[in-house]
Amino acid sequence: MSTLQYLADGFYIAMQWHNLLYAFIGVLIGTAVGVLPGIGPMSGVALLMPVTASLTSGMNAEQAAASALILLAGVYYGAMYGGSTTSILLNTPGESSSVVTTLDGYQMAKQGRAGAALSIAAIGSFVAGVFALVALVFLAQPLSDLALHFGPAEYFSLMLLGLCAVSGLGGKSMTKALIMTVFGLLLATIGIDNVSGVARFTYDIPYLYQGLEFLTIAVGLFALGEVFKTILENDISSKQLIKVGRILPSAMDLKQSAAPIARGSILGFFVGLLPGAGATLASFFSYILEKKWSKNPERFGKGAIEGVAGPESSNNAASGGAMIPLLTLGIPGSGTTAILMGALLMYNVQPGPLLFTDHPQVAWGLIASMFIGNLMLLALNMPLVKVFAKIIETPPHFLIPSIIAISVFGVYAVQITTFDLVLLVFCGLLGYFLSSNDFPLAPLVLGLVLGPMIENNMRRALTTSNGDFTIFLTKPLSLIFLGCAALWLIIPLILKVRGKEVVINEEA
Amino acid sequence: MNKAFDRYSSVCFALVGALFVIESRNISTSAYGSEVGPNLFPMGLGIILIILSLRLFWESTRARTESSTATEGKTLQYKRFLVIFAATLLYVYLLEPVGYVITTFLFLFVTFKVMGSKSYIKTTFVAFAFSAGVYYVYVHLLQGTLPGFPVWLGF
Repeated sequence: MSTLQYLADGFYIAMQWHNLLYAFIGVLIGTAVGVLPGIGPMSGVALLMPVTASLTSGMNAEQAAASALILLAGVYYGAMYGGSTTSILLNTPGESSSVVTTLDGYQMAKQGRAGAALSIAAIGSFVAGVFALVALVFLAQPLSDLALHFGPAEYFSLMLLGLCAVSGLGGKSMTKALIMTVFGLLLATIGIDNVSGVARFTYDIPYLYQGLEFLTIAVGLFALGEVFKTILENDISSKQLIKVGRILPSAMDLKQSAAPIARGSILGFFVGLLPGAGATLASFFSYILEKKWSKNPERFGKGAIEGVAGPESSNNAASGGAMIPLLTLGIPGSGTTAILMGALLMYNVQPGPLLFTDHPQVAWGLIASMFIGNLMLLALNMPLVKVFAKIIETPPHFLIPSIIAISVFGVYAVQITTFDLVLLVFCGLLGYFLSSNDFPLAPLVLGLVLGPMIENNMRRALTTSNGDFTIFLTKPLSLIFLGCAALWLIIPLILKVRGKEVVINEEA
Repeated sequence: MNKAFDRYSSVCFALVGALFVIESRNISTSAYGSEVGPNLFPMGLGIILIILSLRLFWESTRARTESSTATEGKTLQYKRFLVIFAATLLYVYLLEPVGYVITTFLFLFVTFKVMGSKSYIKTTFVAFAFSAGVYYVYVHLLQGTLPGFPVWLGF
């Protein structure tokens, strides 16, 4: 079993003391990020990217990439854990994937069962996280073997599929989501062209030759954008925290939530696999499923533990599932995974089918560290849930300016130019105005990350076909991908015309 | 949903698209022997962006007049925002000439106050701890690069 051998190697890397430390810091910060309203998983990961870059600067490239990814992935799934805490205790979700948790979680807290709800959420997340990882281990190799047979035409179509999927579910208006995607792709063309070496849209400004730095734009759009929003709209919650009380769930609670956790894990994993559909959708689907499955659905909304266990498991499983297309195909399916991909590219590690052969340290180290990270999260969350609840009480007048300062520090530390700092501030402004008018930001980031690869693959394919565009339609796999891409865009449109409510994924 | 914003932004995006289309015609053709040059991709995208902007414009004029529920009942704190935004811009521009510790301390002190921090002692303490702490850890422990103290201070 070569997979198990690789996994063992991965554990060897993940168990190195500095990587254990990185995983710990990652999940700790991630939980804090999830708990704090105002910074979601996307801005959390974006904000920490430059910090990890400077932390790992002394190591060799391979190790640095592994350690940085271990930390950043820890933030990602840690935030998924932490988001439930505020939903349950404050009735304000820390991020969009735990919106559903408020429905029953807050009711449970009001009945004095906050501890049980929190610990079930933690247990559910743990089970789901481990389930997603086991599936990841066994799917990674076959999927990347399959992807090795892809030519440039197939890759182009597959990436187009990813972009269409994210745009189709991207926000309230598909037109706006598509505009953001195309805008992101256009921004990616600035700089020296990879294929021919010709400068494009640089206007002899030396900073532009490398292209716009992904990191600057991501931190600006997400972290600063959200900060500006909080400053302007003053949505600082000053609600009363509910006391946590007894933490351990009763045997009855465990028995009731075992099946929802199992269902939520499986459902969430498969939803996470799909590009575009992320943790938010997974938690919605799981809640609906649990309500349909239940013998007495009228209990839902009044503090049913199934309504916490199912969605919380499925959003964690989805964040694990979302790692699969990222690692094996090199195609991120959501905003957060796009940022993780940006981090990988920063270390010159190209995610995709070759990742497992070229950089086994990074790929398997990351997978193994996710096992350990999930274990740490469970160990952290059960006893320390009261401490994390205290983080919510961080005075916002200290928190908000500090986020700006961290963003500035992070970008400067990596780029060392004033140009990038100015770009950062204006991206923050842009991020605020766009997102407050229902322009989703995730497609823009996705376009920015995928832009160069889409273009290269398109041009390679067209070069082999002497400029004949039908190459994308004559290759069977490519045709299937393009067909799916078209369906992702057309089906929501048809549903909308028929007046049906389309579930959308606001932020992943 | 803010219709006016949608309309203006659709015009802006259409202009951006047009800019990319026009400018991509000026990209020099390379010696690389291919029928697809470096201008094809941005030009195609620019055209798509213009089409999408037209659609957004059309959508925004067609949409029924819904009262914007999102902004209602919320008073936007423009003054506070503008002060912090100006402070951020100043911070960014002065970071290199004046150095990290001084600018960060001043920036944090001002913005903490604007955001409603009451006690002077606490504000000073947190701002100082943040700026000096980050500088010490990053520059001395991690050997990173941050603009130090300005030369004219004499140390």
